[in-house]
Amino acid sequence: MAIVRQVRAALAGAAADAARAWDRWAWAWLGAFAVAALAPLFAGDERGLAAGACLVLAAAGLRIAVGLAGMASLAQGAFMAVGAFTAAHLLRGGWDLAGATLAAAALAGAAGLAVGAGAARLRGPFVALGTWVAAWLAAFALSAFPAISGGAQGLVLPAPFVGVPGGGGLAVTPAGLYEIALILAAAVLLVTRALERGAPGLALAAIREGPDAAETLGVRAARMRLGALVASAAVGGLAGALLVQAQGLADASAFGPLRSVELFVAVLIGGAGVTVGPVLGSAVLAAIPLVADLLGGAAGVDPVRFEPAVASVLLLGALLVGPAGIAGLLGLRGRRSVPAEPSGAPGPPGDARLVARGVAKSFGGVHALAGVDLALATGEIHALVGPNGSGKSTLLAILSGALAPDRGSVELGGSDVTDAGPAELVRRGLVRTLQPTTVFADLDPLAHAGTGTVALRRAGGAIRAALATPKARAETREMRGRAAEALGVVGVPAEDLPAARLDGKLQRLLMIATALSAGPRLLLLDEPTAGMSPAGSAELAETLRDLRGRGIGILLVAHDLALVRAVADRVTVLHAGTVLAAGAPEAVARDPAVVEAYLGG
Amino acid sequence: MALLVQVLITGLAAGAVYGLIAVGIALLYRLTGVVHLAIGELVGLSVFVALAVIGGAGPVTGAASAGSFLVSLGVAAAVAVAAGLITYLLAVRPFLARGWALGWIGGLLALAFAIRGFIQASFTRASYVFPDPIGFDRLGDGGVIRLGGGVTVQARSFAILAAAALLSALAVWVLLRTEVGRGLQAIAGDRLAAEALGLPVERMVAGAFAGVGVFAVVAALVQAPAAPISADTGALLGLKALVAAMLAGFGSPWRVLGAGLVLGVLEAAVASAGFLGPAFRDVIPLALVLVALFVRPSRGEAAWRS
Repeated sequence: MAIVRQVRAALAGAAADAARAWDRWAWAWLGAFAVAALAPLFAGDERGLAAGACLVLAAAGLRIAVGLAGMASLAQGAFMAVGAFTAAHLLRGGWDLAGATLAAAALAGAAGLAVGAGAARLRGPFVALGTWVAAWLAAFALSAFPAISGGAQGLVLPAPFVGVPGGGGLAVTPAGLYEIALILAAAVLLVTRALERGAPGLALAAIREGPDAAETLGVRAARMRLGALVASAAVGGLAGALLVQAQGLADASAFGPLRSVELFVAVLIGGAGVTVGPVLGSAVLAAIPLVADLLGGAAGVDPVRFEPAVASVLLLGALLVGPAGIAGLLGLRGRRSVPAEPSGAPGPPGDARLVARGVAKSFGGVHALAGVDLALATGEIHALVGPNGSGKSTLLAILSGALAPDRGSVELGGSDVTDAGPAELVRRGLVRTLQPTTVFADLDPLAHAGTGTVALRRAGGAIRAALATPKARAETREMRGRAAEALGVVGVPAEDLPAARLDGKLQRLLMIATALSAGPRLLLLDEPTAGMSPAGSAELAETLRDLRGRGIGILLVAHDLALVRAVADRVTVLHAGTVLAAGAPEAVARDPAVVEAYLGG
Repeated sequence: MALLVQVLITGLAAGAVYGLIAVGIALLYRLTGVVHLAIGELVGLSVFVALAVIGGAGPVTGAASAGSFLVSLGVAAAVAVAAGLITYLLAVRPFLARGWALGWIGGLLALAFAIRGFIQASFTRASYVFPDPIGFDRLGDGGVIRLGGGVTVQARSFAILAAAALLSALAVWVLLRTEVGRGLQAIAGDRLAAEALGLPVERMVAGAFAGVGVFAVVAALVQAPAAPISADTGALLGLKALVAAMLAGFGSPWRVLGAGLVLGVLEAAVASAGFLGPAFRDVIPLALVLVALFVRPSRGEAAWRS
């Protein structure tokens, strides 16, 4: 009975959340869905409708890679082909609709894994190039193996059916396939929305906007990007499988590189950052021949010859609107209705003393660090100073797990973490900020600070987030609370403004707030005052003292000696990869070796 | 041995064209960070315009006069300049200005998509024969030279190789020895510094888009009479040039040219292996290149990040 109570509570919670988020837009979308579901009653061309719904489904899947992960996947048509021909062969082998379609999606997902294993490691435009080559390769392979593709004629499919227990099958009409594709498309849109609001969305946004900074927050970028591509490929396979069943024919020319381009452009012009973007974009693509007919008829030109001109003007025009796409023009944008709850959560418990012993690192014969000892305790500010090239940033990278030392060891809270990566150290309460000002340009401050909580989440996995389980929703609320608190501590207003529009000082503070929302016991700050005015510097000193008062230990890399004198409890001076002096600020400032190194003996 | 000669000559001739277009792609990448995904379609457009100038859109047979070929070359170059400028101004610059990489990828692809549609709508036959201005058909046995041992090579292959050598010499001379070339190198090295030195960066980059287009079109036109052309011809040429540029990590002109030659020879070798059949001519080289890139992306990335 306990289970029944739990399920009832979870459902009640979900209903309450849904009721809170329900607004007139939700009614509008529900209405639009109902009208779309009734379309076969009015429109004659059931196969055409089904094909349209399948393309919307494929575009919705593609948005996971393009919109969420920022990867320019140009192989969605090829993934559709994998699904289409898998389903075609299975149906011809006597499988039913459900089995063939699911197997097709699985195989397309596997193809996504193969392409993604390579492409997810590439940067920026090279993802586009890699997937573009993969799309052509799939087209060439289909024409080279007529046994798979059925050659120029394609493969004729038997009418699909759904297996019924006790033998026999229920025939499925194209209208039925249309409804299936429609429901799946709506489901993919809803899941994408849930993912975006949960931890995976924040992590992907961080990766999209700044992969290096995301890594320092413990986000596993390569794995997340691969996951996004696999998910989008699997949905593409689903769409391809349903499309060939609706057409009764699997024809390789329907899944060429052109299809991949169409889907990519549809996602972009609809608005890659908006849930319904793929639907709007697909609608525009479908409208191109109609507009060409209309204009061509009016001008007395053969519409087929007019179409390319209409297409280029419409598509380029829509792209020039920017990343918000047509959805942006219509005033639709991602809204956030998840309320924040005060977290009151303390950082990771236990001892958090960081001790480095004999750390050495060289890069191709250059000794960046030659055996450095350093300790950082909670509740103290330890300044690390030294001229350019003395090894400060290298030491920080090693302490935070981004680099492995050649020799020496690093201990955190008494256990060895020399080989631990950034993700594990973030969970153990140690977070670093990068030296250059790197904010995730598109995120508002609250979401930005929230990216710091991604590595901490226990219910933040893709499946829980996609299903918006009660635990995942509760955790999202709690983590937003943490992020809001972190913003409050450093004094960044939680405005509805992308981070790129904040001034330099606020961006710096936002970087600290983001690190802070991971609940660290130790913070490694690399030149937090770079480019700040003296007044800003003084303000930051106040913030650092406040953090120290909250029991956080800070390793402060700084060139600004006034700031160091103002806040540091201890100072370590690095010079050419070795510790020149260490101790209280006054003692270090009088140290003859330091005086000589700085004043040029 | 004899087969090797045939594969090498045929492959180098095809690969030289990939390589020459790839050099242009690499230059544009180093200038702007943009990978020119539409270059193949732009080349296709110019080739078809040249075809229309020579013989109209009707069925074309027989050789064209050298005069009409030069006129068509001039018109094609003019189209390439216009198309290059329009591409830069409408499909690249607006998106670069706001730092939206997905935008220019979409813009270039949308443009390619439209050009392809235009070619298909205007030239409705499945394929066309580009008339031969020099009359290689009169050489050897209908344009095919027998080298003994059953080896046959198109006479045109030698002309393509000679033209490719000339064009690469021209490209290297422009890039390394002229004022314009040094300016372009300065922009590729450090755009801000080049601006600070007073170079007209915007104009030079726009000019590079136009110039690279002309260069690619000339390379393609030299080869155009060698095989039937269709709406897909340009796209395939562009794809292989992109692959060659990627294989060479968008590096120095010589490396990129070399990658194009390797790709061409690879294709010729696969095509000549009788047991595989011509359908594999595109599949195997592309698959090998993709695997090479995915297994070891690091070498290329070093150049890409610079």
